[in-house]
Amino acid sequence: MVQTTAAQKTAPAPARQGWAALRRRDTITRLSVITALLAFTLFGLPQLLSLYYTDAMTQVAAYAIVALGLGMLVGRVGLYSLGQVAVLAIGAWAAARLLFATGQPFPVVLVEAGLITMLLGTLIGLPALRLRGLYFALITLMLSGAITVVLATVNFPNGGGGFTGYNGGSLHIPAIRRPSIAGTDVAYYRYAVVVAIIMFVLVYAHIKTRPGRAWAAIRQSEPAALAAGINITFYKIWAFALASFITGVAGGVLAGADRFLYSIDFHPQDSIALLAVVLMGGVYSMYGAVIAALLNSLLPAALQDWGVSQDWLTILFGIGVVQVLTTAPAGIVDQFPRDMKRLGGLLWRLVRRPAPGAPAASAPPGAPGAPGASRGGKA
Amino acid sequence: MKEYAPRRWRLAAALASVLAVGGVLAGCSSSSTSSSSSGGAPATSSGAPATSASSGGGGASDTSSCGSKPGVAATGTPINLGTINTQQPGTDFTDIANMAQAYFNCVNANGGVNGHPIKYSIQTEKTDPAQIASDAKQLVQGDHVVGIVGNTSILECTINHKYWEGLGIYVIDSGIAPECWSTPNTAPVNMGPRYSSDGAVQYMISLKVDKIAFDQSNVPGTDYIAAGPKAIAAAANVPIQTFTTNVPIQSANSVALQLVQAAGKNGAVVLNFTPPEALKILQAAAKLHIQNNVKAWGCSTPCDTDFLASALGTAFDNKLFVNAELTPADGTNTPTMNLYRAILKQYGSNVSGGIGSFSQFGFVEARLAVQALSTVQGDYTVASVNAAFKALKDVETGMNCGKFTYGDYPMHIPNNADYTVTPTKGQMLVVPGSGCLSISTADPQIAQYVNLAGRAPADTTSLGS
Amino acid sequence: MPSWSELQPFIVSGLALGGVYALSGVGLVVLYRATGVLYLAFGAVGAMGALIAYSLISAGAPGWAGWIVCVLFGGVLTLGYGMIFGPPLARRDPLVKAVATLGLTLVLFGVMDLLWTSSGGQARSITLPTDNGGFSLAQIQVTWTQVLSLGLGIALTVGTGAFLRYTSLGTAMRAMANDREITATLGVPVRRVEAAAWFGCGVLGGLAGLLLADLVALDATTLTFLVISSLAAALIGQLRSIPVTFGAALVIGLVHDLLTPITQLTDYRDMSPFVLAAIALLWVSRHGTVMSRSREEA
Repeated sequence: MVQTTAAQKTAPAPARQGWAALRRRDTITRLSVITALLAFTLFGLPQLLSLYYTDAMTQVAAYAIVALGLGMLVGRVGLYSLGQVAVLAIGAWAAARLLFATGQPFPVVLVEAGLITMLLGTLIGLPALRLRGLYFALITLMLSGAITVVLATVNFPNGGGGFTGYNGGSLHIPAIRRPSIAGTDVAYYRYAVVVAIIMFVLVYAHIKTRPGRAWAAIRQSEPAALAAGINITFYKIWAFALASFITGVAGGVLAGADRFLYSIDFHPQDSIALLAVVLMGGVYSMYGAVIAALLNSLLPAALQDWGVSQDWLTILFGIGVVQVLTTAPAGIVDQFPRDMKRLGGLLWRLVRRPAPGAPAASAPPGAPGAPGASRGGKA
Repeated sequence: MKEYAPRRWRLAAALASVLAVGGVLAGCSSSSTSSSSSGGAPATSSGAPATSASSGGGGASDTSSCGSKPGVAATGTPINLGTINTQQPGTDFTDIANMAQAYFNCVNANGGVNGHPIKYSIQTEKTDPAQIASDAKQLVQGDHVVGIVGNTSILECTINHKYWEGLGIYVIDSGIAPECWSTPNTAPVNMGPRYSSDGAVQYMISLKVDKIAFDQSNVPGTDYIAAGPKAIAAAANVPIQTFTTNVPIQSANSVALQLVQAAGKNGAVVLNFTPPEALKILQAAAKLHIQNNVKAWGCSTPCDTDFLASALGTAFDNKLFVNAELTPADGTNTPTMNLYRAILKQYGSNVSGGIGSFSQFGFVEARLAVQALSTVQGDYTVASVNAAFKALKDVETGMNCGKFTYGDYPMHIPNNADYTVTPTKGQMLVVPGSGCLSISTADPQIAQYVNLAGRAPADTTSLGS
Repeated sequence: MPSWSELQPFIVSGLALGGVYALSGVGLVVLYRATGVLYLAFGAVGAMGALIAYSLISAGAPGWAGWIVCVLFGGVLTLGYGMIFGPPLARRDPLVKAVATLGLTLVLFGVMDLLWTSSGGQARSITLPTDNGGFSLAQIQVTWTQVLSLGLGIALTVGTGAFLRYTSLGTAMRAMANDREITATLGVPVRRVEAAAWFGCGVLGGLAGLLLADLVALDATTLTFLVISSLAAALIGQLRSIPVTFGAALVIGLVHDLLTPITQLTDYRDMSPFVLAAIALLWVSRHGTVMSRSREEA
């Protein structure tokens, strides 16, 4: 039966504790910290960054939304989707088509792109939701493969006419327009961050209310959820629709960021890398989505800036996935603070004991439990 | 930028795109030939590599002729140049930038440009529009470049040409996207997928085939590319059927069958793909024993590599005709080719593909840049450097059929005449007696350019005597 | 519409393509049944083995040495992965095990692109002696390599089915794939059986890689992600039935190639594996069988 996965058994604990702990903390302090962070992200960061990194951060904002949607599906409902990049492509396509065809305000287009993606994503995903676990993952991979072929044939709109808006013979492809208030790179970065914040709040609101509780029940045990009177199919569709909606909005943000879209930029394989970073970031916390997006979009830019081959990044992501799955199911967002705490403890002991004791002291920190030790070792 | 991660994967895609687009670049690689070409006139060449003696090994010439003061390292303030090249699994054009870097290193070690060394910044991209745009900003803001030389990217011209235009930068590149030829501030040294396919189709027509099946990888801009061959075939009253194929190809057999059936017994198949994908189709045809079911096979520039010639064995000798944009490398004993080989040997340890069309493009672009820079009086600013680039007129590159001119035109197709090569015992050799082939003005874009700039005079230094 | 005589060669090439999908599709299912892991690195392992063989042969090694190294590389690498990551993941959901092999795929893919770059326009290929002979069918040549791959597919279908069912090692593998702990309590030397399963499957991956490098292309990207198309056949076989997987692979290959000459559909022919798999999956799920269970019995 379904509920057998170890991930499902072990994962809820840290997640529950994390959220409970958050709730216990002083709400005002927490809110002010978040506000300060957001204010810094919106106003301080662009002052410090070159345009190169500002552009990268715009991508981080867009991909944080995508990662949030996928993280929610994986972490809260237990649906491993290997087709999110296809969903993103649908959103980007719809947004680009609307931006070329109409003069509607950008936010309206974003919402429309989200709704279209939600509709299509749900229609396509509806039958897939009958499947579980591995089969769900694989059918999403198959469907995204099919969507990719369609996109390669239809192409992304580039200012042409007709339903597809594609003119393959164009000698001068026009750029996709940006919102009038966010024409420059820095302004568009702020715009993207604001959209991302709204999407995070939207998802947060779901998690904190009835759907969130239903998802938690479903993930722990579908039979128990059924017994509790939860309409499993309905809430699964709801989760899938919400993820599709925000991913569609992210597609719209991406359309404005990239300004030129190509079907070769959305491949089924991309979904694999996306799942990798989302798992590494951590699927049980919304912060994990931000970390995933940083891994996905900022790290490559930085590596390039430092002259390191992107192949190393692929290798790193591969190792990261295996490491997360074998030793740290809650991802970096959960693991990193604990590693830091352990490191802090280690340092503290080193400080307290004079040098001769140091080697001996380094042993205990790993001891508190085998999993901890291995986690520390790998990190 | 964005996503490398996900998008990184697009490797596949990339491939594809490359092909399509890329056809261009891939260009030529080595082949030996000797033909004396004079302009559009037929060159003579004895098919045999005979004439050209070996220079191949290259030990001969030394590299010091790349600079003005042999052996004296340049110590002045550096001149900053930059480039953006596609680099992703399956589609990698960094050899072009790496060869340009090798050329600049040679120049820097031999007096520099009027005493100034060239500092070259190489940015890479993964066919990702956002990354391409931010790479450009990095070059301008971070690296303070005054000129762009060596760009080779599937999408770069489309994404950045407006940005460069706004800064007054005149790019010297190897192009792929349509905007590389249709904008005032981009002048490629190569012909690109469209005009190279034109050349391949023209050669097929000259063989009196009665139908052409043209296939290219399914990437953005396929209609733009196909428009050229269609116009050329229409002008010659030869029916043409166009196809697109998704890459990477998993079923090359069916593609080969489809094309051979479409072309028919007296027809020709023309391919515009990256080398690995073209190789799949050609090898499939050979394994199916259907390569002789058509009269001839044609290919745009990317097929012109010895990797392909040696992988094909002898199945396509004198059966496959490849449009080649630069002097074939093997056995051509001209001063330029000897210098190219010598620089590659001494400074080109990063050029993974070695001798080949990619590194030849890098060589030509760097050489043009150095020649332009040496004419600058006073400070090397964006304005002075790009004015010098733009002023390049009838320059002998030593590798192109015609002389190179930038000039003040709304569009640039400076390279519009080239060679035709065929695999011969594992190498790509110029077809005996073929010489330089001028791309027909039946292609409206070529007509428009020739109308503006005229045909370039022949570069008599390109092929050995 | 193409005429019958024009269609005939596509039937032959379609069967050959089906043979390609069958080789990796059947390989995936065999692995899944023997180890309980959907080994998505199957294509990447084979690709890397074939690239190593290519490098050896280019460097002057005899062909057979390259082929053996390719096959052994697959076996040893897969064995190593299985021994290191099999135990910690043994109790996890099949989905988690499958995703972990995607991690291995990424690592191999990155390594391949680092070591076998295409920055100079390199195009690589590997040829086997069986490419040279063959026979003519429907106006086209069928090489012995194609026959060999189809034969290997059939041999695997018959052989592994029998092996898993009738030999004690095969039974132990199936039991272990299903539940490692119970199998261990029954006195089966789990580690050794596991090692045998992983090594055998890796050898299969290397062998498939060599043949696919010849039949499809020696290209890391193509071979690594060929798994996605081949997976379609495995899914139609519900990751369980080897004969169904084999048959499905042939059907997918046939459908794909028969669509090629049909002008209206040719642009969409690459959807065939995905669409057929999706239809099969949904049809089966509607009829409520194993598909909706998360853990399969092998």
